[in-house]
This record gives sequence, structure tokens and C-alpha cells, in this order.
Amino acid sequence: MSNLAQQRQFLARLVLRSFISLCLLLIVIGLVIFFATGGTHVPGNPGGKFSVIVARALQGGVGLHASAFLIAGIVVLLLTPIARLLAGVAMSARMRDSLYVVIGLVVLALVVAGLLIGQATA
Amino acid sequence: MVIIILLGGILAGGLGSITGLGGGMVIVPLLTLGFHLPIPQAVGVSLLGVIATSTGAAPRFVGTGMNNVRAGLFLQVAASSGALAGAWAAHLLPERTLFIVFGVVLAFASALSFKSMPSDVAGARESSPLALKLRLNSKYEQQGEWVPYHVTRVLPGFSVMIGAGFLSALLGIGSGAFKVLAMDRLMKIPFRVSTATSNFMIGMTAATSAGFYLTHGDTPPLIAGAVVLGVLVGSYAGAHVLAGARVRTLRQVFTVVLILVALQMLAKGLGLPL
Repeated sequence: MSNLAQQRQFLARLVLRSFISLCLLLIVIGLVIFFATGGTHVPGNPGGKFSVIVARALQGGVGLHASAFLIAGIVVLLLTPIARLLAGVAMSARMRDSLYVVIGLVVLALVVAGLLIGQATA
Repeated sequence: MVIIILLGGILAGGLGSITGLGGGMVIVPLLTLGFHLPIPQAVGVSLLGVIATSTGAAPRFVGTGMNNVRAGLFLQVAASSGALAGAWAAHLLPERTLFIVFGVVLAFASALSFKSMPSDVAGARESSPLALKLRLNSKYEQQGEWVPYHVTRVLPGFSVMIGAGFLSALLGIGSGAFKVLAMDRLMKIPFRVSTATSNFMIGMTAATSAGFYLTHGDTPPLIAGAVVLGVLVGSYAGAHVLAGARVRTLRQVFTVVLILVALQMLAKGLGLPL
């Protein structure tokens, strides 16, 4: 196996492990804050625009709210397979494989459609 | 409550990784029957557990030469389309109907798991015209050698993927068994390649519908956090600590438990006391 291929695999594993570790870290912090603050205030369900969910999580994180860390962990988890998809699209683009770049972008459009339809039907 | 859900997630992740049966099959009944969570919320949470399991296992498949990226991307169009329809349907169908469908699918999947799946059934002799056009035929590494394979019946496989995506989003399960069946049995993609490719697809399908459930307001963060943490710890323990456990016995016991859970879900859907 070439050095370049080995480097790519190392990078792919590193990205996957980093995403999952960050997700775990955020969720553990959220749960610790929840229990440390009495474990009685159950955070409400996030909903609506994805950008607003992310913005609220970031704002809440500054105030050390448990819900903010938990939601941030969920968002990172949700982004992990999308990062894998983008890596696949990037690989196809590098190989000048326009058919699979288009197919990958269609899949990405379906994910975005899921976010938008969920928000619109809430 | 959070601690019990966390323990439930550990159990689901551990049993899922040892036996190969999906953790989603445990999470949804636990949250609906055990904690009376509305089924769309239980499904929304379970889908995050599915992403966690799939992503946690993903580094194992990187660089093994087993992934068919083209087949995965192409079939993902079908799985994600099905997932969108499934997530939408889950919010239109009555809750009782969802319990009945879950019970039937769970009973079917449990019964299937009693039959051992033969690996690497005879491959296709030649690729179908559509597979050639999409360049789906590839090769995989076996004992240091690259073995080429052909891909066939692309459209039937694509159709099954729509169904697998639909069920995944409707019920909060990975639908990995259906995805592998479509690739291995229908499209004649070697079993190990199908398994590796389905790992990518399971996470991507669940991400499509989990996004829907999140923006729709069906993801309670506290419960989701406990489930995701539990599932990740459980699947790690299952893969590393319990690797020497008596898998066959465990699988049979787990299957019987799942059949009982399926009956309970059916009873709830039909309004019968059990």
C-alpha cells in the first residue's frame, strides 16, 4: 500500500474518532452538569431551524446549561456520517468522477431536505 | 430514570455488537413500553443510537479494502429517499399502527436471526448493463490477493434499499440486515463487502431521518444523551471486553427476549392486555 493511501486511511480514522470523542465529551459534560445542578430540570426538546438549534446550543454552552452540551453532542453525532459522505464526494472529485460527485451531492440534498421538512412539519 | 436509560443503552449496544442484532430493536421498546415516551420521540432517540453504533464501528472498516464506495453512494440515494418518506410517515400514521408494524418487523428480524446467514454466496458471473454503466463492479482483498467481483440486479437492490430506509426511519432501527440482504443476495456483492458498505449506509440513512426528527422537535436531549453514551459504552464493551462470551447462547437468549418484546409491542398496538 502506498504512503499516500496509508496517510489517507490514518486521516479518515482520525476524523471519525475525533468526531465521536467530541460527541462523547459534550454528552458527558451535559450529563455531569445535569446531575450537579440537582438532576431535576429536564431540558425541553429542541426543534425548528437547524441553524437556530446550533446557535442556541452555543449560547447555552457559555452559560454552562446541560441542555446546550447535550444538544451540541447530538449535532456533532449527526454531522459524523455527513463528514464521511463529504469525504466520499471529495474522493470522487479528486478522481474527476463527476457522476459520483453528483450522486453524493444528491444524498447530501436529501439530508438537508430531511432537516427542512422536519422543521416545516413541526 | 436517566441512569436506567443509560444502562438500557449499554445493554442494547453490548448485545447489538456481540450478537449482530441491532440496538434500535431494544431502545424503542425500552423507551415506549418502559418509560411511556411517545413513539416518534423514542424513534428519534433510537436513530441517534443507530448513528453512534455505526460510527463507533466505522474505523474498523477503514482501509480494509472492503468498502464499495460507489455502490454505497448510489444505493444511499434510495435509502435516504426511503428514510425521508419513513420519517414523514411516522408522523402521519397513528401510534397504534407504528406499534403493530414494529412488532411485526421485530418478530420477523428475530426469527431471521435464528437462521445463520451463509457468507459469500456464489457471485455473479457478469455485471448487469446498469452496474457496468455505474461502474459498481470492484475487487476486494482476501488473504493478500485482490479478488474481482461483478454486480447485478441493481434496480431490485435499489428498490429494497428504499424499503430498508423507510423502515429504519419509521421504526428507529438500522435495517442493516435488509441492506446486507439486498447487496449480498440480490446484487451478489460479496458478504464482507456488503457488511462494510452497509456500515456507512446505516449511519447515513439514520442521519437523514434523525435530522428530520431533530428539527421536528422529537429529540429529548437528556434521554438522547443517555442513550448515545450507553450505546457507545455498550458496543465498545461488547467488542472488546465480552469478545470471548458464548455468542451463540447469548444470541439465542437475546432472540427469544426480542420475540417476547415483539409480542408486547403487537399487544400494545392492538390494544390487548399482555
